[in-house]
Amino acid sequence: MSQSSDKEHLLLSSIKGKFGDKVRELYVNPKRMKILVDREDIVKVALFVRDLGFDQVISAGGTDFPQEDSFVMDYHLISVDHDDLKKIIFNLSTKFPKKEPKIPTLMEVWSSAEYHEQETFEMLGIIFETHPRMERLLLPEDWNDIPPLRKEFKLPSRLVEHGSS
Amino acid sequence: MEVVDQEGRTLTFSVGPQHPGSGHFRLIVKVDGDYIVDAKPDPGYVHRGAEKMSEERTYIQNIPHLERPVIIDSSGILFPYVLAVEELLGVEAPSRAQYIRIIMAELNRIISHTYWLSIYGIFLGHSTMFMWPMGDRELFIDLAESIGGTRVTFSYFVPGGVRNDLPQGFKERALKTCDYFEKRLKEYDRIFFSNPMFLKRTRGVGVLKREDAIKIGATGPNLRASGVLSDTRKDEPYSSYDTIKWEIPVRKEGDAYARAMVRFQELFDSLDIIGQALNLIPDGPVKIPMRGQIKGKVGESFARTEAARGTMFYHIISDGATHPYRVKISVPSFRNLSAIPFLLKGNHLADMPAIYWGLDYWPVEADK
Amino acid sequence: MDTFEEFLKRVITIAFWVLLLGPIIILPIILLVLPPLGVQVEVANRLLTALIDPFAMLRLVDSLGIGPSSLFFKIAVFPGFTFAALFSTAVILYERKLLAKMQNRVGPQYAGKFEGILQPIAELFKLMFKEILTPERTDKPFFWAVPFLAIAVGGALLALIPLSPEIYIAKSEIGLVIIFAILSFTPLIVLIAGWASANKFSFIGGLRALHLLISYEIPLILSALGVVMLSGSLDLMKIVQAQANIWFIVPQFVGAGVFFVTMLAELERIPFDLAEADSEIVAGWYTEYSGMHFGALQLANYIKLYGLTLLFTLLFLGGWNGPAILPPLVWLFIKLFIVISFVLALRGTNTRVRIDQLIKLGWVYLIFLAFANLFIALTVASLGIV
Repeated sequence: MSQSSDKEHLLLSSIKGKFGDKVRELYVNPKRMKILVDREDIVKVALFVRDLGFDQVISAGGTDFPQEDSFVMDYHLISVDHDDLKKIIFNLSTKFPKKEPKIPTLMEVWSSAEYHEQETFEMLGIIFETHPRMERLLLPEDWNDIPPLRKEFKLPSRLVEHGSS
Repeated sequence: MEVVDQEGRTLTFSVGPQHPGSGHFRLIVKVDGDYIVDAKPDPGYVHRGAEKMSEERTYIQNIPHLERPVIIDSSGILFPYVLAVEELLGVEAPSRAQYIRIIMAELNRIISHTYWLSIYGIFLGHSTMFMWPMGDRELFIDLAESIGGTRVTFSYFVPGGVRNDLPQGFKERALKTCDYFEKRLKEYDRIFFSNPMFLKRTRGVGVLKREDAIKIGATGPNLRASGVLSDTRKDEPYSSYDTIKWEIPVRKEGDAYARAMVRFQELFDSLDIIGQALNLIPDGPVKIPMRGQIKGKVGESFARTEAARGTMFYHIISDGATHPYRVKISVPSFRNLSAIPFLLKGNHLADMPAIYWGLDYWPVEADK
Repeated sequence: MDTFEEFLKRVITIAFWVLLLGPIIILPIILLVLPPLGVQVEVANRLLTALIDPFAMLRLVDSLGIGPSSLFFKIAVFPGFTFAALFSTAVILYERKLLAKMQNRVGPQYAGKFEGILQPIAELFKLMFKEILTPERTDKPFFWAVPFLAIAVGGALLALIPLSPEIYIAKSEIGLVIIFAILSFTPLIVLIAGWASANKFSFIGGLRALHLLISYEIPLILSALGVVMLSGSLDLMKIVQAQANIWFIVPQFVGAGVFFVTMLAELERIPFDLAEADSEIVAGWYTEYSGMHFGALQLANYIKLYGLTLLFTLLFLGGWNGPAILPPLVWLFIKLFIVISFVLALRGTNTRVRIDQLIKLGWVYLIFLAFANLFIALTVASLGIV
């Protein structure tokens, strides 16, 4: 890919200029960029990123990393209303230990995050503080197990394979 | 269940999961007379854990089951997956395959939109509009079947290209079908879209304002009907969509009528795009040969495409194994879900079908 | 039971054996047992002759007081209930075929040798053999009464509508008033059904039917009033006679339009089927009815369709008037066929209206038009044109 990534670097430098070391860039590629912030700073950074023009959460989902004993929560942000930002997918991510799976909700920043966060709560057990509906969404009402997208949860159909390996 | 609440004014009932107008989906509706006071969506009746399943299967094994959430738009939901996997593999599909993917994706858009149109027709009580698109849809299913081999779940896109080349004589057949369907669309317009009854039922119903549409995360035709020009095919052109010229339909009203007309216009556009792609398609291989199990490099990739219902997004994390480490699917129906209670509140119960199906919410897709 | 044809074959076989064995066994009994008891053998003989001779059968039936000229026959067979039910069945088939043709389909195809002509009969049998489910919490007497009431309203409607100067059931000087009185029972029945079903969807359907009543009943009556003014009578016979020269649809085209629209609302047909709107409230007040209950409600609806289209034909299209090349009854049914075709075709081309739109239509436009129509009628009548 040979497209320039000036806009992306510009965005990053403005975020860095505001928050300094609190924001770590993971990569900046053409059309794709990812930054990592602490969960304490995520709301402030999110507000700033929203004001830069990223107006929708296209996806928000967590990932379980048992080796590092941590969760990573990714917010994928897009802009539908700003022509110069439309081609970029901005990944705002935060990492936090598994023992304390609590992060502030970004619902006040982007209300489009509501159902994504609710789904993440259900699938990974990450609690979004002050989210109004931390309740079941997709799983059966009588679900009585650990959240299924955690790596400890093994699909019953695949238990034999995993047991042997 | 109580028939009336304590004040005796409102009535709460479930629309779905066993209701002719719901699909695999439940909507808890509270009405005061004929007005909806509150609506709470309850998805999840067809949740099959596609994300967890993807972690347990290889990249190729994932293809068939990832199509299942939305079989009427199976290419649409698979497209970003193969793009994301290709990015992890560091390959790009050959030019011919890219155009074949365009043709297939647009065929699927037509198949999906005609399905939507027929259900929309019967939801508003128009039985002819149920039968006509359902019948004409078969022509496009036949076309897609001649490429992919099955009626709806083609498993046709694979990382590195498409499974097989177009059959012989496909171009002529496709153009003939497109010509025929274009004529039919004009008849649709006469009997349904210009029908004063239809206008009465949809104009000014369920208005989603521009800023609200952006705020609640509406996507695809619903967003474009609210006056936002946002289409991944133009915003971030993938798979040679940048070589094709067409106008994206955008309407300002944001009501059910605008949403219907945007989809109706997209049917014309898809026919146009198929015609252009068939003319532009170069000769050459349709697939990069790959041996053995494919393994993504360690890292992650995102991809988004414009499926029939809006922007389809995949986030794949790879740890270098033959299985993806994590597949996050963000489907358009799930993002449009928040529009349903937002629009239903304060409207007539009789407008529920027009609003609900006007958003083209596909419960199976949203549940994944 | 493999196919419907095999089933019919079996029925015919049974009937054959009954008819064959019956006389062989019954004949000796009648001839040997009855005379000693003092019963005249002649009656027995006539009974036996009637079995093989239709004319003798007619005489026998006549002597019992249920012959073709009797009131019972009129009510039960022709032009009353049986004829109306058969006609409705034909209308159902016609509707399905017509809609199918409009929608690029073939419609019923298999029951009966020709174009699925026995499909409604087959479905009648299907409904008869289905279990009638009564939900636990329903108000059972009312719940069970509704299908009978619905059929009764349909039948009562027919009693007052003549088919020709000779063929009628009841003659009344104020027939039109009685017809409207009977028609206004319908929403009450729907409301009872909605309430007794103990189902939220039924309940909303019943309430919607009440809304329908207040919005269409007045224009329906007002639109027919113009005809009454022009003909100077409430008797349908006299109204039809008054149209010997000119059909009332010509001076009363506004009234005819209003009557047609309100008739669709009365019949709960698309575009006014919102009391049973399937995509919103499942099946409205039909929701809890199953088996032959449902069949009876459908039959009542189609009998009402027959009755109201017939009324439209009589009021506006000159009834049985027509050139003498065809008998009056044929003229009547030609006109009826055209009206019914219009009613049915609307189902294929329209969406459902909303309740507030219907009320607005009823109270703002239709009542206004109906009053305007009255003035047209007054003008026409005072100028002595008709």
